[in-house]
Amino acid sequence: MKTEKVVFAFFIVLALTLNFGFFLGDFSNVAHHNVYELFAAIVVSLIATVLKFGDRTHLGSVFLATSLVADLQLICAAIVWGINSQSVGVSLDENSLATIISLSGGALLANIISVVLLVSETINLRR
Amino acid sequence: MPNLIYLLLRRLRSPLITLILVYAISMTGYVLIPGEDGNHDPYQMTFFDAFYFVSFMGTTIGFGEIPYEFTQPQRYWTLVCLYATVISWLYGIGSLLSVFQDPAFRQQTKLNSFKRSVTNIRQPFYLVCGYGETGRKLVRDLANDGILSVVLDLDEAPINDLEVNNLSISPLWLRADASDAQMLEIAGVNHRCCQGIISLANDDRVNLTIAIVGQLINKNIRLIARADTKEAESNILSFGANEVINPFDTFASRLALALHSPGLHLITEWTTGPRDKKVDEFSLPVKGTWIICGFGNFGRAAYQYLDEVGERLCVISSDRHGRDVPAGTIIGRPTEAATLKKAGIDNAVGIIAGTGNDPDNLSVLMTANELNPNLFRIAHQNEDKNKPIFDAAKLDLVMQRGDLVADKIFALIRTPLLGDFLRIVGRFKPDRANQLASRMIGVMGNDYPELWEISITHEEAPAIIERLLHSQIFIKDILRHPDNRGRNVSAMVLFLKRGEGNVILPDETRRVKPGDRFLMCGNKTANHKLQITTHNSSYLEYVITGKRLPDSWVWRKLMGKKGFAKRFDHS
Repeated sequence: MKTEKVVFAFFIVLALTLNFGFFLGDFSNVAHHNVYELFAAIVVSLIATVLKFGDRTHLGSVFLATSLVADLQLICAAIVWGINSQSVGVSLDENSLATIISLSGGALLANIISVVLLVSETINLRR
Repeated sequence: MPNLIYLLLRRLRSPLITLILVYAISMTGYVLIPGEDGNHDPYQMTFFDAFYFVSFMGTTIGFGEIPYEFTQPQRYWTLVCLYATVISWLYGIGSLLSVFQDPAFRQQTKLNSFKRSVTNIRQPFYLVCGYGETGRKLVRDLANDGILSVVLDLDEAPINDLEVNNLSISPLWLRADASDAQMLEIAGVNHRCCQGIISLANDDRVNLTIAIVGQLINKNIRLIARADTKEAESNILSFGANEVINPFDTFASRLALALHSPGLHLITEWTTGPRDKKVDEFSLPVKGTWIICGFGNFGRAAYQYLDEVGERLCVISSDRHGRDVPAGTIIGRPTEAATLKKAGIDNAVGIIAGTGNDPDNLSVLMTANELNPNLFRIAHQNEDKNKPIFDAAKLDLVMQRGDLVADKIFALIRTPLLGDFLRIVGRFKPDRANQLASRMIGVMGNDYPELWEISITHEEAPAIIERLLHSQIFIKDILRHPDNRGRNVSAMVLFLKRGEGNVILPDETRRVKPGDRFLMCGNKTANHKLQITTHNSSYLEYVITGKRLPDSWVWRKLMGKKGFAKRFDHS
């Protein structure tokens, strides 16, 4: 067992689970989607990206690419949220919420690919 | 380039993670801590507010407490975050700077820009491995002649000199091991403009490796290598090197030539010697005993060659345990008068100081001069920096390895046929060599000798190729002066290479054929005049037939009509 591998897997899986948690729920209901969870998802996703830096193998490059996609989607979602909640006292309208959720859904897909890669790499190692 | 980015990202991993974590924690804090708006109503910062505030706080820009004045708990948190973010930024920037200064990173940067510049070369160049005294002189000569060189050397100091060179064509350089196949490839062994590898390392093994690797990567490349010992020389030659230059051998053989066949010696000096001065014949002493001090690479070569031409020799060696020293060797320190006397200095005609130590060599010659002022004194100068003292000592002949090798290589680069020519001329009898030398003096006059090649190809002699399609040309035609065909230009043909065949000093009545390569000798003006003849068909017509063809197309058409030409001639 290697600490480095544990940390690496931990962040990749955590990025997926947080993202999934945020995505889960009704598309039009703000109460189902916690802004803290989105924030945490972004932070963890960024950390996961940095952890993938500097791996020159082919698999490492794909890891980095999926992670960058997830970052991009989540940050876009956060920007949409930020812009639409600036007018004080008005909560998010349904349209922008739907945009945010679908963006995070895209990030979820990228994160799933990441985890699938991680698992397949591990399985290959066992053989 | 990709390597660089990966290296950079890898090194910046921990500072980036620190920065992300510190930002995340600070932002979460601001979002969670209750605040107040201007009217003392409760207000919670949004993530945008928090990110905005942390961003300008962490970078020490500090716009103030935005969007509303902070409460006391918010200020406590700000105090914590302030130090945390500033420190993590400093950490990040510090690591970034240290990566830039990292030797590995800088080597990588240099390698990348070197690779790019080599790929972008669009002119013929030579790959020079080793930038010592020889390399330095050679690169300078090449640059003065308009030839680009790519330099590889493992040592930092000499190669750093290149960074601030004042050469007309700045060479490309890299601090790298030239015996590394990958480095040779990066330096352009396979580049289509690469004319050849010149291997000048101090170590014979390195030269050998470069020769092997170079031949394996690119079979067709021209290879000129330096070798200090006989074994290395034959070994490198067996790997397909075109020319191997042994500085000691070269010098010793020239010395032997000077004693044995002065004409041949002059020819060799003129063709492979320095480009900026003409070597004159020097008067060597009549037959007698020569004393050789030191029996290293230099002493050995001198002994071998002088022995071949039948000189009487006496070797002084300070090495008590040397095994293969010749019979009659005197063991002792050559710097002492007693040893020199024992070797018979009073009756000797010349002395060769060939130890590996410059002060020793000078000391030997000074002592020898006191004992016998009529001696012909020859010294081996080991280090370039000692040139002033050797000059001041006013010796008869100084062997300077760097210059010797560089001059010869430069000559071989400019005129590749020279190697074959010298090999054949080297077997000339003294009489024939003297004749050739006087013919050469005839064409080059008092100038220093100019050697050049003419290839009968479309690029180098378009006029000749064109004319050869319908008529024949003799060598004597080309040698006529393009302004006045009654006399010849001051040039002669030394050597002709036609396919695999070699013709030394071809007859002037020989026919010129496409693909021929001529080695010419003469002076600068003659070279220029011959360029005119070989490139310009109207001048060629004139030197062959005596008719002056009109230059312009219109005039030529008009002259082509018979009647017009007749009228023109009459008037």
